[in-house]
Amino acid sequence: MKKLKKIDLRVSLAGLKLKNPVIAASGTFGYGTEYTGLAEPGDFGAVITKTITLAPRPGNRPPRICETASGMLNSIGLANVGFEAFKNDKLPRLVEKKAVIIANIAGNTIEEYVELAKKINKISHIPALELNISCPNVKQGGIAFGTDPSSAAALTKAVRKVYKKTLIVKLSPNVSDIAAIARAVEKAGADALSLINTLYGMAVDIKKRRPVLGNITGGLSGPAIKPVALYNLYKAYHSVKIPLIGLGGIMDHRDALEFLITGAVAVQIGTANFVNPSAAKDILSGLAGYCRENNITKITKLTGILKC
Amino acid sequence: MKQYHSIQIASNARVSDKAYTLSFKIPGLAKSADPGQFVHIRLSPGSNHPLLRRPFSINDIRGDKVEILYEVKGSGTELLSQISPKDTLDVIGPLGKGFDIDLRKRYHLLVAGGMGIAPMGFLGRRLKSLKLKHELLYGCRSSSELIPSDIKICSISSDDGSCGKKGLVTSLLPDKLESCQNPVVYACGPWPMLKAVARICQNKNIPCQVSLESFMACGVGACQGCVVRSSDGSYISVCDKGPVFDSRLIDWDQDCVV
Repeated sequence: MKKLKKIDLRVSLAGLKLKNPVIAASGTFGYGTEYTGLAEPGDFGAVITKTITLAPRPGNRPPRICETASGMLNSIGLANVGFEAFKNDKLPRLVEKKAVIIANIAGNTIEEYVELAKKINKISHIPALELNISCPNVKQGGIAFGTDPSSAAALTKAVRKVYKKTLIVKLSPNVSDIAAIARAVEKAGADALSLINTLYGMAVDIKKRRPVLGNITGGLSGPAIKPVALYNLYKAYHSVKIPLIGLGGIMDHRDALEFLITGAVAVQIGTANFVNPSAAKDILSGLAGYCRENNITKITKLTGILKC
Repeated sequence: MKQYHSIQIASNARVSDKAYTLSFKIPGLAKSADPGQFVHIRLSPGSNHPLLRRPFSINDIRGDKVEILYEVKGSGTELLSQISPKDTLDVIGPLGKGFDIDLRKRYHLLVAGGMGIAPMGFLGRRLKSLKLKHELLYGCRSSSELIPSDIKICSISSDDGSCGKKGLVTSLLPDKLESCQNPVVYACGPWPMLKAVARICQNKNIPCQVSLESFMACGVGACQGCVVRSSDGSYISVCDKGPVFDSRLIDWDQDCVV
């Protein structure tokens, strides 16, 4: 058998070097060890933790998830063990897996984000931070910072002051002009952007005449949102110079290619992890296959080659 | 747990008005599974509809064949009912924490309501192989929905009186518990039934394990989507901390999730 030509899948996000461009999206890969036997953190270029807050959060009232046409709604509500338990109980097990770890954080106030960023900055095993300013399922914090360019910039600037490693900001599609937010966050010192988080959505139980979700509304993810994600990525790519990480409904390597070609340096896999825990591995082999067929030796050559 | 791609269907047969049993051969899964555990099935590999996997209790294991029991309820199970032996599925399992069989108990009472019969076939088989005395109390809506079972049935009830005693299965429980020594109860069925079983057992200080149902996304404890409220007020995920719980761990005053 002819030996397959090796494709260089390595990418770099403002100095953060990843062995491949497929990243596990926050909240869909837990603390990195839940899928043992099905998928490993090392399958991914990096693993983004479930959102961490200073204090533990119980999360929202159930039901928390609901399937919709080619997608799903969730209203988990940032349920997490809190920073101390993350650091002491969850992190050591994830570190053993030898994957690149990106911590995703959220807070109710700028001060809380800053305090968390300082703590994460001290952890040598975590080379990057993703700021969640786009969770649609909590009242305070989260999306409150993500829908207004000046609030997003103020938060990014405050965190930038204390956080010395790679700083990624995760943007919301629930805005009228994502380019304005992207520019504001870039100017405030972000090293990279992740886009998009989930879209506001809801579903109704016609028998009970009640919302399906305990929280009434939730965030829509899955293949249903992919066109929205690509549109937002396209707009952001033409507005900022920092690297972009694309996400929203990526299920297979063809979806991932659409994001790379539109301008993403790397992609995140979220809902697909639930459906197919081997999605990351399947996507990576599909990406390498596409590169071979098209005589592309480095995956980075694909970024932003969209012809318009 | 493991993901098994392209699993060939062995059979998919109707067993009552709305219920079917589906079986497939996975030797590794058949060997490692315990009663009460579930499999997470992708109903249409390669398509995004339905998108999420569906959890099914393991109804029985015969040799290297795994069997699930399901009722046609929505588009996912409708699709499943049309699957034939030439089709394939993508199966993850075994998942979750199953029944904790206490070998010191003299009498093991299985209480099932409707589709709650699903995990009982496997549990009965395991109890039989352990030579532990066990019986089934089984309630259904009507005789047309009665699902045949290999387990020794002590009483049947139906909502319309078309088979067994008319009424709820929970009305048969107190007398049954009075008549046996050192029992343990394993229950599966609709939330109101489980709530009643849990209350009856708690009042009599009889250990009771319940198998809960919930909407799930990941099935492995990562997403926290399938949680129920526990008696201490915290949320616990059904997929990895359950689906079988000690009934005292659950806050029975919450709205049912499914």
